[in-house]
Amino acid sequence: METLTNSIVPEIILDEIVEKYKGKPGMLLSTLEEVQEKNPLKYLPGETLSVVSQKLNVPYTQVYSVATFYSFFNLKPQGKHSIIVCRGTACHTKGSKALLDEVAPILGFKRMEEESESSFTTPDNEFTIKTVACFGQCAQSPVVAIDGIIHSNVNSQKLLKILRKVKNK
Amino acid sequence: MKITINNQPIEVPEGITIMDACHSVGINIPSLCYLKDVSHNASCGVCVVEVKGAKSLLRSCITQVTEGMEITTNSQRVMQARRVNVELLLANHPKDCLTCDRNQNCELQEVTFELGIHDERFVRTRKEYGYLDETSPSLVRDPEKCILCGRCVAVCSEVQGVKAIDFSGRGLKSKISTFLDLGMGIVACTNCGQCALVCPTGAITEKSAVSEVWAALHNPEKVVLVQTAPAIRVGIGEAMGMADGSLVTGKMVAGLRRLGFTRVFDTNFAADLTIIEEGNELIHRIKNGGVLPMITSCSPGWIKFIEHFYPKSLAHLSSCKSPQQMFGAIAKTYYAEKTGIDPRNIVVVSVMPCTAKKFEARRPEMDGAYRYWKDKLNLTDEERFYDVDDVLTTRELARMFKETGVDFTHLPEEQFDSPLGESTGAAVIFGATGGVMEAALRTAYEVFTGKTLANINFTAVRGLEGIKEAEIDLDGTKIKVAVAHTLKNARIILEQIENGSSPYTFIEVMTCPGGCLGGGGQPIPTNYEIRKKRAESIYYEDAHKGLRKSHENPEILTLYADFLKEPLGEKSHHLLHTTYIERGY
Repeated sequence: METLTNSIVPEIILDEIVEKYKGKPGMLLSTLEEVQEKNPLKYLPGETLSVVSQKLNVPYTQVYSVATFYSFFNLKPQGKHSIIVCRGTACHTKGSKALLDEVAPILGFKRMEEESESSFTTPDNEFTIKTVACFGQCAQSPVVAIDGIIHSNVNSQKLLKILRKVKNK
Repeated sequence: MKITINNQPIEVPEGITIMDACHSVGINIPSLCYLKDVSHNASCGVCVVEVKGAKSLLRSCITQVTEGMEITTNSQRVMQARRVNVELLLANHPKDCLTCDRNQNCELQEVTFELGIHDERFVRTRKEYGYLDETSPSLVRDPEKCILCGRCVAVCSEVQGVKAIDFSGRGLKSKISTFLDLGMGIVACTNCGQCALVCPTGAITEKSAVSEVWAALHNPEKVVLVQTAPAIRVGIGEAMGMADGSLVTGKMVAGLRRLGFTRVFDTNFAADLTIIEEGNELIHRIKNGGVLPMITSCSPGWIKFIEHFYPKSLAHLSSCKSPQQMFGAIAKTYYAEKTGIDPRNIVVVSVMPCTAKKFEARRPEMDGAYRYWKDKLNLTDEERFYDVDDVLTTRELARMFKETGVDFTHLPEEQFDSPLGESTGAAVIFGATGGVMEAALRTAYEVFTGKTLANINFTAVRGLEGIKEAEIDLDGTKIKVAVAHTLKNARIILEQIENGSSPYTFIEVMTCPGGCLGGGGQPIPTNYEIRKKRAESIYYEDAHKGLRKSHENPEILTLYADFLKEPLGEKSHHLLHTTYIERGY
């Protein structure tokens, strides 16, 4: 297990979060969500999962099961900016696969192998690229969400332009 | 309740499932995930039946019958659906049956054959599997063979309360994993092997020691001793094609001689020895204000469980090693001295109903005989040896019998060798839940009171109930005892101890349901009915033994007179007692 010790949420903050949710319905999901949010690299390291398990008195395997089930939870460090490319049917027919294949290498990703890995982060930790099944914005396909903002009718050039802008911000 | 099954009217009790109703009229419904008393995930979809009025096919394993229900199990729709569901599972399952551990004893293979599936119509969809996990000394997990039925997860969490494994991921990435996908040898797994026992395929199996044992048997310089646990004699017959619970002590001994073991000894001998030590330890603790309740320490899954989850209660464990380990230590000291064999040339092989015994034999402290000889023979660190060299499960022994063409059912009945082969009825019942308790009481009563027991059958501690209790009158000193099997029940016992409400003086804990006879190394299938039959055979053997109290075993008496001198003595301390560690969770 690779752990970046400087990116662990401090115990004192963990305690506060756990205190808030412990004993309430959905405590595990709420805790994991907030702990991930507090992590500078927006992810849940193994050490954090085991501490959450102990503090909430939920079995290790159950915590891991939940953390791996929801695509919202990240088990690897995330880049500063997130790029989510829609791979739904409508976006696919409008070229979202080509978008991935063209833009990913420019950012320093190797070819994005779908299904084997769900996300990639650039070595400089600037971007994390992910795919989703559908944003529900099919009329404006293909769509890409960058740092939570949905961009419609995207093509490679447009995407690169946006990314440059985001990076230089 | 009146229902019809395939147009035949029948009457069934309220509340039973369609599957059980069908079974009661002689129709077996195939299923790969459902397992009575263990799992009802309804994930495999193989048990579907048609019910008039229902929109879709229903899973018979979880659907209860209702008044007037019209069930069809043999329609084209049902048969087609079952076939497709199995074909979909097969699309992602390797086709290496011929070389699989579970070949010819695989539920997936059986269902595929029975449903008449002859070709592969669907392509593989899963790309990501976990890694082949060989980190555990007891168990091997091969996720490629996993069909995600969830039985192992259910038995680990519901029966054992350990929760070492669970589902992770989603969709095509779903798999069974440990925490963070760490190896089974790293996480808090007790090695009980109940997962291997319920797995419908070869996804979880024991880590085999067969080739190591053959290597020892084929080495002319080695004196290879074998010991057989009490539960093997009521299990190995099944694996060799005999009826469930067949009692085959004599044939087993004969078979082991056919394999080439130099001496065929009995773990039961060491079980009698355990009782002498443990009974005296109990009396010592009662008389001297020691830590009570004292809990038995024969079951290595249980030991690892308490080390992980309840390390604060370790002082309650008896310091006695398990019979397997006592045997190894005695074989490589007392027997080696008596026969003049160099202990370095002795190989001790155990046949155990247990996967956790493989782990136990490799605990670093289990080298008492080496430490005994170290100075006497000027042994170097490189020459270090364990008390027990290799551990085979019942299933592995069956494989060795088959490999060498041992015609088990036609073997004559033979006797164990001396001097580590004699045992009493008290030892054989170690194989059943409540047995160690009963055996200990037979001895402790007589040693404590100096009187002869009027009735040696402590029937209150027998049977398959989860936690059993009894009150024993030791000539005026009344003690309460408890017997628990499965780790989930052990948890209840430990919670009582930790919150100060435990009323007991002595507690027996066995890891597996039914005790060792239902162990993770026993033949597959092992279910409630089979456990009951094996238990009957165990108590039959006890009842028909000439000697039924451990302290009357003549070979044990000789062992004390010639070697150990006294129970809990100096030599016992070094060879027969042990310590435990905090593993944390």
